[in-house]
Amino acid sequence: MRLGMLASALAVTAALATGSTMLALPAVAQDGATITGGFDVGPGGLQGNFNPLAATAGFTWLVTYFEPLVIWNAELTRIEGALAESFEVSDDQLTYTFKLAEAKWHDGEAFTSADVAFTIRLAQNDKSGSVLAARLGSIASVETPDERTAVIKLSKPAANMLDTLTKLMMLPEHALSKIPVEELAKNAWWSATPIGTGPFKFSRYATDQYVEVVANPDYRGGAPEAARLINRYFKDPAAAIAALRAGEIQFTYVDSNDVSTFADAAAFEVIEGPSLVVNYVGFNQEVPLWKDLRVRQAFMYAINRDAIIQSLYGGAAEAANCVYTVDQFVPEGIEAFAYDPEKAKALLDEAGWAELNGDKPITILTYYTSPLVTNVLAAMQAMLAQVGINIVPRAVDTPTYNSIVYGETYGDFPLIFAGLQNGPDPSNINIGLNESQIPPAGANIMRVQMPEVTAALDAALGETDAAARDVAFQEVCKATNANLPWATMWVANRYGVASTKLENFVWTPAPAGGPFQAHPEKWSVAQ
Amino acid sequence: MLRYTLHRLLIGAGMLLALSVLIFILLRLTPGDPIDAYIDPNVAISQEEMAALRTRLGLDQPLPVQYFAWLSQAVQGNLGYSIQRFDQTVAGLIAQRMGPTLLLMAAGLTIAIVVGITAGVIGAIRRNTLPDLSLSVLALVGISSPAFLTALLGLYVFSVRLHWTPSGGMLTPATPFSLLDLLHHLILPAIVLSVGYTSLIMRYTRASMLEVLNQDYVRTARAKGVKEFWVIVKHTLRNALLPVVTLIGSTIGLAVGGAIFIETVFNWPGMGLLLVDAVGTRDYPVIMGATLVIGAAVIVVNILTDLTYAVVDPRIKVA
Repeated sequence: MRLGMLASALAVTAALATGSTMLALPAVAQDGATITGGFDVGPGGLQGNFNPLAATAGFTWLVTYFEPLVIWNAELTRIEGALAESFEVSDDQLTYTFKLAEAKWHDGEAFTSADVAFTIRLAQNDKSGSVLAARLGSIASVETPDERTAVIKLSKPAANMLDTLTKLMMLPEHALSKIPVEELAKNAWWSATPIGTGPFKFSRYATDQYVEVVANPDYRGGAPEAARLINRYFKDPAAAIAALRAGEIQFTYVDSNDVSTFADAAAFEVIEGPSLVVNYVGFNQEVPLWKDLRVRQAFMYAINRDAIIQSLYGGAAEAANCVYTVDQFVPEGIEAFAYDPEKAKALLDEAGWAELNGDKPITILTYYTSPLVTNVLAAMQAMLAQVGINIVPRAVDTPTYNSIVYGETYGDFPLIFAGLQNGPDPSNINIGLNESQIPPAGANIMRVQMPEVTAALDAALGETDAAARDVAFQEVCKATNANLPWATMWVANRYGVASTKLENFVWTPAPAGGPFQAHPEKWSVAQ
Repeated sequence: MLRYTLHRLLIGAGMLLALSVLIFILLRLTPGDPIDAYIDPNVAISQEEMAALRTRLGLDQPLPVQYFAWLSQAVQGNLGYSIQRFDQTVAGLIAQRMGPTLLLMAAGLTIAIVVGITAGVIGAIRRNTLPDLSLSVLALVGISSPAFLTALLGLYVFSVRLHWTPSGGMLTPATPFSLLDLLHHLILPAIVLSVGYTSLIMRYTRASMLEVLNQDYVRTARAKGVKEFWVIVKHTLRNALLPVVTLIGSTIGLAVGGAIFIETVFNWPGMGLLLVDAVGTRDYPVIMGATLVIGAAVIVVNILTDLTYAVVDPRIKVA
């Protein structure tokens, strides 16, 4: 009898489980018009943020319902119009004129130049929670000669203005102007009833589960193919991969370690692209060990970058001899730092490394906690040990890392292994290397004070002629190759995996998730 | 009884206050603040902007000032706003998460109690037979398997390989709510959560049953010709359950910890996931609020267990 009871309990449980399976299966494979993805998974995502003014990442998803004036193309090679049909930059780089597209907000109101002026004023005011305030600081005024023209006047040229504008999603004045600026960030509008001009309209946010947007039939680029997009949230890429394999989602970012498991799967397509983040070993210039250029050069010769790229990155990274790897910005004839441990030893001897530090352990701090980077640092540790440099990796979480490197206890981070965005706009690197960007002003966390590097960066940033600009950034490359403020390592590739059922799907591993022109209105999914 | 209850509640309130101070201090000793968590090291942002944000959030105030500012609001029921999810109140976030966590814990504990006690009884009455030995081995495996391992294995086998259960979440996106859909999502995390407790309850029940089975009054009952079923249920199990009840009460606190693991692996939108997220992003108000609520829940459950125990066992007095 007892066993009988147990058996019936088990039977009920089993029936429940199978019954619910049967019921839920059609739900997973429901009407083909829904595209579900982990659009905020990985380094380019920012789950739980709905406020584009506060966004440091997550643009891939935000541009499904918001739109900026201008946007990078999908190849990340040039900036093109989005809400601006066309735009012009004056020769002195002080006047930007935008001709606006005829667009409507999701509530039917017309999008006008007044919205542009409103959004820029809001983003310039850090009380709104905007992280763009400083970057938009050079905007002196926004003029609106008519409803379809917006003219931005700058007080001084800003080389990265267009790049910054790609991250500025246009916001509706009629919906937001009534909310006091200080209360804007805390307002529920962002995650409840936001309206944009994009191909999809915000529908709902199931807290920490997913965000749903539905097709905007009035989109000026045509009604979207898919009826809705769903952005599912995952704690980590591994959980998203499980959902991808289980057929619950059609797309996610994946860590490079996991890519090989998709290589032969016919149901999936691997999307590969450069991370546009240059990885480097940073030398804290406040630490006397690194004053001598020969010591920094020794790092470049002692680390066998090709071997690491081949064996650990599976070949999916490009060695960086300066802060750039894009041909456009890399001049001929710079030092290639081919692996040469003997030369490294000789350089260290010349610099008197034995007296300077010898084999005392030196911490190398990193915020990368992936197994891949753990292995990379172990390889570096072994290679540097060969020439007499004893590094000890220390991986911490991002907040800990930031609190250390922006602090002034320099002994805690004599060396770092880090990355910084070096594209698509090459001026992104300025904040990490220009002397004027030493904290608290910027993110020159290695406190690099190298006149040649700073001069090259200043010249490139101030260059108003487009053709001369490439040459100016080549000078930045030269200066960082010769002075080695960092031992530049490589630019690794990043990956997404999409179901082959997706059609016209565009994605690229852009830093911060772009934004880039992905045309979500054209995405569809085969039944 | 009333005096005892009030006394316990008062101690509980004191414990909560101490807990809040402890968590506050621990948090501030942890390197990095919410603003540090907001900076993506790959995509640099000016520190001036971050410093302005820090000032606005009051993070540059002296610690005691910050603590009392928080406490004075908290006692009035205002737990403040999340720092990382600007537009959401801590109380709102916690309220949304409470239901899913309670559901998960209730389901897990129910499975653990039903299966654990049944298996324990079977083990005791079929002592040293094949069923008993197999159950004991299973229990040993269950107790020694860490929750995150069981969870990952379960996920791999039942979701990725067999496609029996969803890989995570609580409801299928973009479909109307259905109870079966909820149960479908619930079953795997609940079973995984229950594994450890089932084994524990089974071991306790078995040991306690064996002890009681040797008592004189059981032999007397049998001698009087009471049917074996009633001997087990009425005379043995009822007496054997006392220590098991205590165990269940005291493991509820532990179950909260287990739920945090399970929620993270299965993306179950409960308190655990909220807390893990908040710790990762140093979202101070959320961590303080969530810990306080979990602490209060554990304290209340413990008081209830003590009171229940006194009711169940008349030998215990709570004067």
